[in-house]
Amino acid sequence: MLDEEIFGNLRKSILTYDAQLALTSSKQGVEKGIDPVKLLDAMTAAIREVGDGFGRGKLWVPDMLAAVEAMQSGLPIIEEEIKKRGVRREAFGVAVVGTVLGDIHSIGKTMVAAFLAAGGFEVHDLGVDIKAEQFVEAVKSYRPDILCLSALLTVTAPQQKTVIELLEKEHLRPPTRVLVGGGAITEEFAESIGADGYEPTAPAGAKLARRLVEER
Amino acid sequence: MVVKGFTRRLRPLELLTVDQVQEIRASTLSVLERTGVRFESDWALDFLKGNGCDVDFQNKRVRFPPGLVEECLRKCPSTFHLKARDTQNDLQLGGCTTYFSNAAAMNTIDLDTYVPRPATRQEFIQYVTVLDALEYFHYHNCSPYFGFKDTPSIMCLPEDLALRLTYSTKHTQYCSSNDSEVFHIKMLKAIGTEGTGALTASPPLTWYGDQVLQARRSIEAGFPVSTCEGSMMGATAPATPVGSVVSSSAEQMAIIVLVQLLHSGHPIAVGHSSFPMNMSNGAPSFGQIDASISNVLFNQVWRSYRLPIFNWTPGFSNSKRMDFQTGYEKGVAGVLAALSGADMIFLYGCVSSEIAAHPLQAVLDDDVAGVIGHFIEGTQISDETLATNLIDEIGPIPGHYLSTAHTRKWWKIVQFLPKVADRLTYPEWEKTGKKSCIDYAKLRLEEILKTHKPSKLLTENQEDSLRQILEDAREYYKKKGMI
Repeated sequence: MLDEEIFGNLRKSILTYDAQLALTSSKQGVEKGIDPVKLLDAMTAAIREVGDGFGRGKLWVPDMLAAVEAMQSGLPIIEEEIKKRGVRREAFGVAVVGTVLGDIHSIGKTMVAAFLAAGGFEVHDLGVDIKAEQFVEAVKSYRPDILCLSALLTVTAPQQKTVIELLEKEHLRPPTRVLVGGGAITEEFAESIGADGYEPTAPAGAKLARRLVEER
Repeated sequence: MVVKGFTRRLRPLELLTVDQVQEIRASTLSVLERTGVRFESDWALDFLKGNGCDVDFQNKRVRFPPGLVEECLRKCPSTFHLKARDTQNDLQLGGCTTYFSNAAAMNTIDLDTYVPRPATRQEFIQYVTVLDALEYFHYHNCSPYFGFKDTPSIMCLPEDLALRLTYSTKHTQYCSSNDSEVFHIKMLKAIGTEGTGALTASPPLTWYGDQVLQARRSIEAGFPVSTCEGSMMGATAPATPVGSVVSSSAEQMAIIVLVQLLHSGHPIAVGHSSFPMNMSNGAPSFGQIDASISNVLFNQVWRSYRLPIFNWTPGFSNSKRMDFQTGYEKGVAGVLAALSGADMIFLYGCVSSEIAAHPLQAVLDDDVAGVIGHFIEGTQISDETLATNLIDEIGPIPGHYLSTAHTRKWWKIVQFLPKVADRLTYPEWEKTGKKSCIDYAKLRLEEILKTHKPSKLLTENQEDSLRQILEDAREYYKKKGMI
């Protein structure tokens, strides 16, 4: 198979939300010895196309998520190769996302992760019900530009404050900027706990994250 | 090609038992046989006499044998084709399809003060352009406005039709007054299309000569017709909705007999327009739920005759503004008309009862029509929509449906997306200028007026023909001393 075909299939896998094709093409690319950074660039360019489609109102939240899921199915193979070769992945920025302790709501957080990925971020999704200490460990490990904390419930919203306080105690904030969101969160609440930003929706959250990174 | 409209997949809403429907049918036949209907047309009196009716020439009263009425009702087709200027906009009336039209009004309205005023010719054109552009608007009523500035009132109907034919390619209805239908029919034929001749009774139980002429001329032209009455419960019809249905049905059946005797099997739609009277001021109570009760009863009875049904009242609200009352009155009336089987709902455009109409309201009503249509199209049940395999595959949390192909396929099919409703989250709304649906409707209106062109323009020859027919009409009315 020609290199062009592999690049073409990687692009196609994202645009048609074909996780299996993304996995196969990533494997083929790595096995053929293609520069993994270039393989990643091909997928990132495709995911940006999807993001642009969303921005123009031509694509929708389910399309974004499916595209990102397709990308994620091939990503570990490419990242593994990048690590092996000792080269650095060039992402627009690094983001860590997760839903706070006591809260198992994943949809909003998953959407934020998808929109960040589509916006060119290297995204580390920690999942749901994440303790403040786990967030801090992730920040130490990935050194993200952005940490996104999600909380749907009023009772779990204060956990965002706990995470922020712990990050400050560990002198990790700055450089990491903390964005908060979720059904229980308002602009006022975000300000009151000292977050760096809040947006009510995933697309707007991802835009804000890009802006904060650009402002650096 | 026929515009699909909205397919009613629900069992129709019914307020009556089978026996009660029979009772109303029998009562209507009894009114026609015992009381009869007045025809202010010597020709009609002679014609109906010659076809077996009992005619009192002195009082111009025609009494109809029940057998004749039923025979004529049976001759009416249950569905028929309505040709539009662009065949892509043709309609197939009847069956299980609901279409939408506009309600006619006298004036336009100032959007800041809600004061009505006569529309200019340009505003008339803009309104027609907007109606042509709106997705769920299928059929032009006789007039968006009853007239416009600087046009002699006698010329308003022909000028109005000429503009509708120029700026829209959708099927149109035409009225009649002082022989205007002669010019209407000529115009429609000149551009190779058809229209529907509106026949309007004058309740209680009266048909004037111009309506009889309209029926005869439309039949001769080979154009379908529709009937309507326009009564006020407690004034020109009994105060009870069911009584209004009996008197309205008797009025419509009388003209149906005449039409079917003239041309057996002629396409005809039957319409209902009955408002309760506001007993404190004597005006019609537009938008009041009782008009809808009357529609639902009428629709149930007339479904049993299998004729296409028009409901004329849902487009009217008594509110003087584009506000909550206008929204709920039109919305509820439209839903009830559709649920009970109306094939044509006159919903678009009116503000402040029939005093005014505005294209902005039509833009808002397009969403209302869409919502109603989406609802009546019902739900598909299949392995794919039941989604049990998918539910099994996704399982409990952390599973979710967001990125599945099923969601990507189905949400677009099953969700209705209103074009001008506020669908933002609160913070988004706050950040984007706190817009209401009216603000969004203004933006859509602006966009339509900036970009919309009819799908087919008239040829120069067709434009010349329309101009010539209008000139002929002016000459005709000048000779009659009406201009």
